[in-house]
Amino acid sequence: MLSVRGLRKVYDGHGRRVEAVGDLTFEVADGAFVCVVGPSGCGKTTLLRCIAGLLPPTSGSVQVCGTPVTGPPDGLAVVFQEYGRSLFPWLRVQENVELPLRAARMPRARRRPLVAEALAAVGLSDAASAYPWQLSGGMQQRVAIARAIAYQPRVLLMDEPFAAVDAQTRADLEDLIRSVWQRLGVTLLFVTHDIDEAVYLGQRVIMLSAAPTRVAEELAVDLPDARDQLTTRGDPRFTELRGQVYAQIQKAKGAAG
Amino acid sequence: MTAALRRATLVVALPAALLTAWWFASAGSTDFYRPPLSRILAAFGETWFGPRLVDDVLPSLARLGLGYAMALVIGVTLGVATGLSPRLRATLEPVLEFLRAVPPPVLVPILILVAGIGNTMKVLVIVSGCVWPVLLNTVEGVRNVDGVLADTCRSYRIRGQARLRHLVLRSASPQIVTGARQALSIGIILMVISEMFAASSGLGFTIVQFQRGFAIPEMWSGVLLLGLLGVALSVVFRVVEHRVLGWYHGIRAVQRQ
Repeated sequence: MLSVRGLRKVYDGHGRRVEAVGDLTFEVADGAFVCVVGPSGCGKTTLLRCIAGLLPPTSGSVQVCGTPVTGPPDGLAVVFQEYGRSLFPWLRVQENVELPLRAARMPRARRRPLVAEALAAVGLSDAASAYPWQLSGGMQQRVAIARAIAYQPRVLLMDEPFAAVDAQTRADLEDLIRSVWQRLGVTLLFVTHDIDEAVYLGQRVIMLSAAPTRVAEELAVDLPDARDQLTTRGDPRFTELRGQVYAQIQKAKGAAG
Repeated sequence: MTAALRRATLVVALPAALLTAWWFASAGSTDFYRPPLSRILAAFGETWFGPRLVDDVLPSLARLGLGYAMALVIGVTLGVATGLSPRLRATLEPVLEFLRAVPPPVLVPILILVAGIGNTMKVLVIVSGCVWPVLLNTVEGVRNVDGVLADTCRSYRIRGQARLRHLVLRSASPQIVTGARQALSIGIILMVISEMFAASSGLGFTIVQFQRGFAIPEMWSGVLLLGLLGVALSVVFRVVEHRVLGWYHGIRAVQRQ
């Protein structure tokens, strides 16, 4: 389980105090797929970095699987938005996926099948010996996802992972991440600014207010589990939920302005 | 194939033209200090493809190799430590700036007092000059490690040796190579200079001996040999660089498209 309690983050520097995250409290149950949406500049990335243990909060606490986060927690993987900068350009695709396992001193005989499986899961078995920069943006983000899969995390954080790829690739990657989640039973927290994406992907959507960020509203997505780009997005219920999220985000923006 | 041939022609064309011009311009020369190229080339074979190869050329190259290798090891080690620790950098920077500003040839008299006139002194002179470009470029390279990649390492718990090997050294490698290239040309200069003082063998020593003994064609042939050695070493350097930085040149080629 992932739990965030009274999280607050204030950036202090150069004579300017910025309260990025005001007071955030929410929980994500084991194996849940939760999307976090909010207006741009609302401290989504700050929240994610605090959960990942990459940034110490000013106050409040984060717990991953019952353990308080003080540094990068065990069994947690992050997929960053900047796929081009989160892969090692001097390592081949396969070596990129393998490196966290090597660093964890997993024996070669155990990590090889994990890497092969992860690459197959994202449809990149053929690109194993390519360098990341020889691949398209969408494929690079697939490599980053494969690396997270091979790591076998209990919690997976994704920070606007599809913000920088084109619309068609994005739809493919959304379906990919749904199937990965269903297969692995991992707890997934997906941060995005895209309302459609949040409703399409998640079981639950957490809407944030403008900075200093609070939880503005939570919404259960009661769409069927088997989702499809055509039928799900054409579903009247989808349109309804999307409208609710949109209205909430507009309200949050209005309150800020 | 024709492309390779054309490139080879381009590489050879200018040197061939210059040598031809020199050959004919100097053909009828009776000036004692400027002998015809034909005489210099004749002296070249006699002078260098005999016992001098073992007595002078190889010792020079061995001292260069040893001094250069030591400079690389010291420069990279110290550079990584300095680049990773802001406190160490603040402590060392003023001293480094001072030491770097001292021209290495003026160290020769001092090093003779400390280390005698043997090989140790000559190697130390080479080290004292070569270490700076390597050190300073390594510091810069280590400081410029990409933030997203560093976060990726942290969240996948890639630490210690694995981090040093796969993140720090590899991201700094383009700049380390730049430093190493500068150091190589400085090394060749210092190899010759260190042999001009209190030496009994080596290329620099032999060339000065020829000049003092009015063996003018032989003196010229020594200068030619030094030039050729420089070319050979830079070819070797390029081959090594191509292997180490293949990924880097690959990215640059992709970005240029």
